[in-house]
Amino acid sequence: MKQKIGVYICQCGSNISDYVNVEEVAAQAEKIEGVALAKTTMFACADSTQKEIEEDIKSRQLDAIVVASCSPKLHLFTFRNVAIRAGLNPFNYVQVNVREQCSWAHSNNPKQATEKAIHLVIAGIERVKHSKALPAIKISADNAVLVVGAGVSGMRAAIELAKMGTEVVLIEKNHFVGGRVSQWNKLFITDETGQEVVARLYQEVKNHNKIKLFTGTELISKSGGVGNFDIQIQFTPRYVLTTCKPDWEKIQKAISLCPIEVDDDFNFGLTKRKAIYKNFPSELPHIPAIDIVNCNKCGECVKVCEEVDLEQQVEKLNFRVGAILLTTGADSYEPKKGEFAYQEIDNVITLQQFKRLIEISGKELLYHGKKIRNIAFIYCVGSRQQDGENKYCSRYCCTSVIHSAILVKEKYEGIFNFHFTRGVRTYGKQEILYNKAAKQGDIFLQSFEDSPTEVTSENGKTIVKINDILTANMEIEVEADLVVLVTGMVPRENTAISSLLKIPIGRDKFYNEVHPKLRPVETVIDGILIAGTCQSPKTIMESVNSALSAAAKANSLLRTGEIELEPTLAVIDKETCDWCDACAAVCPYDAIEKSEVNGKFVAQIAKANCKGCGMCLPVCPVNAIQLDGYTDVEMEGMISALVS
Amino acid sequence: MTEKKEYDVLVLGGGISGSESALNLAKQGFKVILVEKDLSLGGKMIHLSKVFPTLDCSACITTPKVSETARHPNIDIYTFSEVRDIEKLNSGDFQVTLVQKPRYVTEDCTGCQLCEDKCPVVVNDQYQWDLVGRKAIYVPFSIANPRIAAIDIENCSLCGACEKVCPANSIDFSQVEMQTPIVVKTVIIAIGFNLFDPTLIPRYGFGKYKNVVTSMQMERQLVPTRPFNNVLRPKDGKMPDNIAYVLCAGSRDETVGNPICSQVCCMYSTKQAQLLMGALPMADVTVYYLHIRAFGKGFCEFYQQAKGMGVEFIKGKIGLITEKENGNLLLRYEDIESGNIKEAEHDLVVL
Ligand SMILES: Cc1cc2nc3c(=O)[nH]c(=O)nc-3n(C[C@H](O)[C@H](O)[C@H](O)COP(=O)(O)OP(=O)(O)OC[C@H]3O[C@@H](n4cnc5c(N)ncnc54)[C@H](O)[C@@H]3O)c2cc1C
Ligand SMILES: Cc1cc2nc3c(=O)[nH]c(=O)nc-3n(C[C@H](O)[C@H](O)[C@H](O)COP(=O)(O)OP(=O)(O)OC[C@H]3O[C@@H](n4cnc5c(N)ncnc54)[C@H](O)[C@@H]3O)c2cc1C
Ligand code: SF4
Ligand code: SF4
Repeated sequence: MKQKIGVYICQCGSNISDYVNVEEVAAQAEKIEGVALAKTTMFACADSTQKEIEEDIKSRQLDAIVVASCSPKLHLFTFRNVAIRAGLNPFNYVQVNVREQCSWAHSNNPKQATEKAIHLVIAGIERVKHSKALPAIKISADNAVLVVGAGVSGMRAAIELAKMGTEVVLIEKNHFVGGRVSQWNKLFITDETGQEVVARLYQEVKNHNKIKLFTGTELISKSGGVGNFDIQIQFTPRYVLTTCKPDWEKIQKAISLCPIEVDDDFNFGLTKRKAIYKNFPSELPHIPAIDIVNCNKCGECVKVCEEVDLEQQVEKLNFRVGAILLTTGADSYEPKKGEFAYQEIDNVITLQQFKRLIEISGKELLYHGKKIRNIAFIYCVGSRQQDGENKYCSRYCCTSVIHSAILVKEKYEGIFNFHFTRGVRTYGKQEILYNKAAKQGDIFLQSFEDSPTEVTSENGKTIVKINDILTANMEIEVEADLVVLVTGMVPRENTAISSLLKIPIGRDKFYNEVHPKLRPVETVIDGILIAGTCQSPKTIMESVNSALSAAAKANSLLRTGEIELEPTLAVIDKETCDWCDACAAVCPYDAIEKSEVNGKFVAQIAKANCKGCGMCLPVCPVNAIQLDGYTDVEMEGMISALVS
Repeated sequence: MTEKKEYDVLVLGGGISGSESALNLAKQGFKVILVEKDLSLGGKMIHLSKVFPTLDCSACITTPKVSETARHPNIDIYTFSEVRDIEKLNSGDFQVTLVQKPRYVTEDCTGCQLCEDKCPVVVNDQYQWDLVGRKAIYVPFSIANPRIAAIDIENCSLCGACEKVCPANSIDFSQVEMQTPIVVKTVIIAIGFNLFDPTLIPRYGFGKYKNVVTSMQMERQLVPTRPFNNVLRPKDGKMPDNIAYVLCAGSRDETVGNPICSQVCCMYSTKQAQLLMGALPMADVTVYYLHIRAFGKGFCEFYQQAKGMGVEFIKGKIGLITEKENGNLLLRYEDIESGNIKEAEHDLVVL
């Protein structure tokens, strides 16, 4: 039992002390047996207070401390480190949350907030009295990372990790790399083409011997945890040999002989492609692939090109990595039938189709044979929905559509652009493009939030109608040759990998980070990181920023080859345990094994796997399991204090 | 000082960006020197109230970062310092001159602030954005890191009162600027931003009308360590009950040479409006905007939340602000939705 406990009550500026009488809490704490000192402080986390606590521990020889402040989510580690620096075991410290649980929750009733705080603090003191000094647990970690998705984010992260000395396994589901960016020709803000950007990244990936790139590949199983994930990946063959340099003449011939034609996803259905295909000539890797689902194995291609091998088999490989980085990207929103007359009126298309259309069109801009002059862009389709699910703004699309409107005018003469906006969000330097579009004569209109723009067909003409805010509620109609729906980003359907890795999903259904400001690329699962548009809509620059940040995080986690784990683990009392299997059956982390001690079977905890979740404790019929840091005596002490 | 010091990385600026970079590098095993011009680490963020869109208390999430940075064995920190003459050597490294300005207070200072009581000189407190005063010797702010006083020598009367009272004997008027050559392999520039000087738009009357304040001044009135215990009008100390926000003040405006959007102001105004609804439950808050740029993760939802709380958003550009005798302000603006020129009266205006 601890005899010399130091108690610190934080005012948190006034966040706590506005509602909780901190002096009263300190006075009550001081009365408890074993408490050597109880103090209040303006900011417990401030450097000066941390130093003061250290001094107290040393000079008063405190054997445990309690800090009553904010949530341990914020400062558990801050004060554990204070303890460590002062030579105290960090587990002889307990944090009590009197901000979120008292002052903020009960700001309408300061008296009761104070009472609750007193109870919680005394409970904390009772818990720390029985606390044990727990030793640090270290496990070895592989300095290797699995990166899932070879879009700009994944490739950039892989390159950066490799440069820092981390081994990388980079897997891409498609047979070609580059993700979405390879689909956009000229990009805002630099006017480089997507193909150029992707080609540059691909060369760097290929040149680095620490990166193993696998295309046509998915993750199919995972076990273990941070530092030591055992993963299995599976590749679908491309049915074309990757070993030799392809002879392009022969391949062209093979493609032309293929009798199958399917809708071309890459061009969002605007065109058709063959079963043996490459989406564009410079696509990488520089080898075509066969879409085996649609291939009828007629063998026409084999006749002219011996590099085709229809007998290739699905293969699997195993790796061990220390961390997993997800860069699986996002999809474009697909409008529902009838949404702004989509799929009802022929000349209503999406922004992504429009981008492909500009690229694949020749001298004239034609859609279904008709020459385009008036283009109406309808903003925020599938984003900022008031009633629908997608409440968020997709952030890339205002700039992307304005940039496309500039490009289409540069490429073709006689184009008139009409923008039916909901308030343009060209934040930061992207504002320059908005000014440029306005100066080139594009017309910007804005709809009222309660009366959206309408698209109708009248006598074969497509009419776009708006009540416009910018002209003080004038009703304006435009006859459009092409209506472009500015579709936002939506999370990719990626259920297999999401459930395999149990990735946390946010309210917006994108992958969720621990904290948007302080830990923006980590997830709550140790060793699993996210970057790019799988987390939320982003531009390329923002995607790459997060990829670089994730690479740095993964590297700093793994580079020493060692990871420290929380020592709050389950402990088996081998005397009492009679191996009944109940605990092993409920453990979600496969951390409990059967072992033999002195001729008797007992449960044993695999320390690297145990997360200290406590699931096994209540099911043990003989109460042979304790959780370090949360033992029965500690919990009972707390409960007595709370009910007293 | 002639001893040459070597580091892997020089980080310029100790705001949240500089701290985060220094920490990540240090954790990867690199030796870092962090140079901060100001008296304390923390940049702007340490002075903010709560942060959008999570409404975390800003000081509470910044201070641990700052103290972790300050403590990391791989990071050497120099506050109140700058660098001069960055020169690239043939080896690819950079030769830099580190300049440490004198604080006139040594590291023995315990931050007890007894000197502040005795100092007879009062000047505007830059850390409270001039809302209140401070002494010529002062601990920058309560959560400063390092929490060591400094003497503002330009305003100091050299009376020596502080020297007499300091229990740690840490006042040292003999300090001089120190220059140290250092060699670094890489430089990270994280020197942050300055706020637009609103006196450059005389139409808005900042500096002339006391109840026209900047967003940073409002931010300071909303923090736990705020100068007054409530939100008050600077002119007469009354509690405002009809507050206006004028967005894009100094942004998206070619006439002041800045055509780009600052991309944080829409959101921090939305945040402040929400906090004001909490601090002054009876007050009306109106935001005059051009477009609301609520584009990031959770931002659009945050904007909708503000609307739901009753914050009024009016699309319109403010043309002119004039003051009434009672200190209230008349805002002339084009109400874009109706197409009319209108005038509205508010008792506090935030730019
Ligand atoms: C119409 C449109 C125009 C745009 N224009 C621009 C522009 O001009 N400038 C700009 O800065 N930004 C632009 N953007 C944004 C840009 O496309 C994104 O920022 C970028 O694509 C994000 O890259 P990423 O690597 O995160 O994701 P993606 O590009 O989506 O790549 C993800 C990759 O992961 C792979 N993958 C997915 N799931 C798995 C799995 N389970 N296993 C293995 N692999 C998987 C995918 O096949 C894909 O290759 C535009 C977006 C759109 C929709
Ligand atoms: C009123 C207001 C409210 C805001 N609210 C929010 C919010 O709610 N949520 C949010 O996410 N963001 C908010 N922001 C934005 C946020 O403040 C910035 O994103 C953040 O401060 C940027 O940090 P930084 O480190 O890049 O720059 P800064 O905070 O500016 O730090 C830069 C540091 O570098 C130092 N420095 C400058 N020059 C030199 C030099 N030559 N040598 C050495 N050091 C130098 C400075 O002294 C400073 O300490 C707000 C901004 C404002 C103005
Ligand atoms: S970026 Fe623009 S078009 Fe896209 S959802 Fe946001 S406001 Fe709408
Ligand atoms: S639009 Fe909003 S974010 Fe952009 S400069 Fe104006 S106020 Fe700031």
